[in-house]
Amino acid sequence: MSTLWKEFSKGLWNELPPFRLVLGLCPTLAVTKTANNGLGMGLAVIFVLTLSNMLISMVRKIIPAKVRIACFIVIAASLVVAVELLMQAYAYPLYQQLGIFVPLIVVNCIILGRAEAFASRNPVLPSIADGLGMGVGYTASLTFLGALRELFGYGTVFGAPVMWGSFKPFSFMIEAPGAFVCLGVLLAGMNFFSAWQARRKGGPDAVPAVSDCGSCGMCDMARKRG
Amino acid sequence: MREIMKMVVVLSLISGLSGAVLAWLKDATKNRIEEQVLTYVQGPALEQVFPPHDNNPITDRKRFEVPGAPGESVTIFPALKDGKLAGYAMETYGQGYGGDIGVIVGFDAGKDALTGIGVTTMKETPGLGTNVAKHGFTTQFAGHPLEKLELKSKGGSIDAVSGASYSSTGAITAVQKAVALRDKLKDEIGKTWQ
Repeated sequence: MSTLWKEFSKGLWNELPPFRLVLGLCPTLAVTKTANNGLGMGLAVIFVLTLSNMLISMVRKIIPAKVRIACFIVIAASLVVAVELLMQAYAYPLYQQLGIFVPLIVVNCIILGRAEAFASRNPVLPSIADGLGMGVGYTASLTFLGALRELFGYGTVFGAPVMWGSFKPFSFMIEAPGAFVCLGVLLAGMNFFSAWQARRKGGPDAVPAVSDCGSCGMCDMARKRG
Repeated sequence: MREIMKMVVVLSLISGLSGAVLAWLKDATKNRIEEQVLTYVQGPALEQVFPPHDNNPITDRKRFEVPGAPGESVTIFPALKDGKLAGYAMETYGQGYGGDIGVIVGFDAGKDALTGIGVTTMKETPGLGTNVAKHGFTTQFAGHPLEKLELKSKGGSIDAVSGASYSSTGAITAVQKAVALRDKLKDEIGKTWQ
């Protein structure tokens, strides 16, 4: 049980996908104009990531190593199409908002990264925990980023007005550059916090997580299997 | 050789299975998606063109075969007031500047006049062609008789959107198509909804 919790919780802070691993940035920056959009995108990713981790872990023993990437892509793509259909059927306004970014989940680096680095080497339950944790972390990050941009860009959070009456929204925040600025400030804040924590413990300064891209697993997969 | 066989079999198996599941899912969600698209894409335009009504034109919609054109059919959305037909609408398309412009054209059930038009889908130039969906252009059609539905430059009575004659022509073409269809289907529509 404790290992399951470990696999789940690492996606919540230590390996938080968009901010720690800096993976899956395309939708992170593009759809987080509002908290609602971030949440919707995140839920779609939770669904795809958890199921793809589960399925890939189930079939990992029968997939020949040479065609494994193709197999992973087929599984991820099918799940994404399923999400797209379900979203059209049950959440059409959200589908209109997210538009092209739903089909693009399939090329989201997180999906393939987790499949390769985790699900293809671990049993089913830990893989589900890993997918769920990464997905929840991703959703939380997107919702937070969305809420932040919505707050300054529209003066609302989840559509509810929270700023004072004479507040003039910075429309800059809901444009593309605003996304980059927000992300940069958040990354800096998180690195600062980590460094501060490490210093307080008396250890050496923590290396910024951003420069540590090994956890994605795409590089050492070439080394180990190729 | 055995390895290649295994690769081919596994990959085909996974692809085939995924395909089958998706085909089933697409079939299972087909009706629901159609309903959703109608509600969110055609719905707002329908509300724009209809006189006061107390039914849901989307759930009450019906497909009609076009007489004299086998295989062609058109969906009619009725607006009912106290169980009587107050108006009806259909979606038609006209070639605009950037592709087809979809227009919902509403007709009065009592007299030979339009109740209004509403644009559903288009890929016109933002700020120019997209003005055909705006108030000033579409309001010209509310209550307009079925004659002289043509741009003023061609002897009709509709003002084109300035700077967007292609888009205006596209919208008008769609309206003219709807009028032609309405002539063919008028009696049948009257019989279906009293």
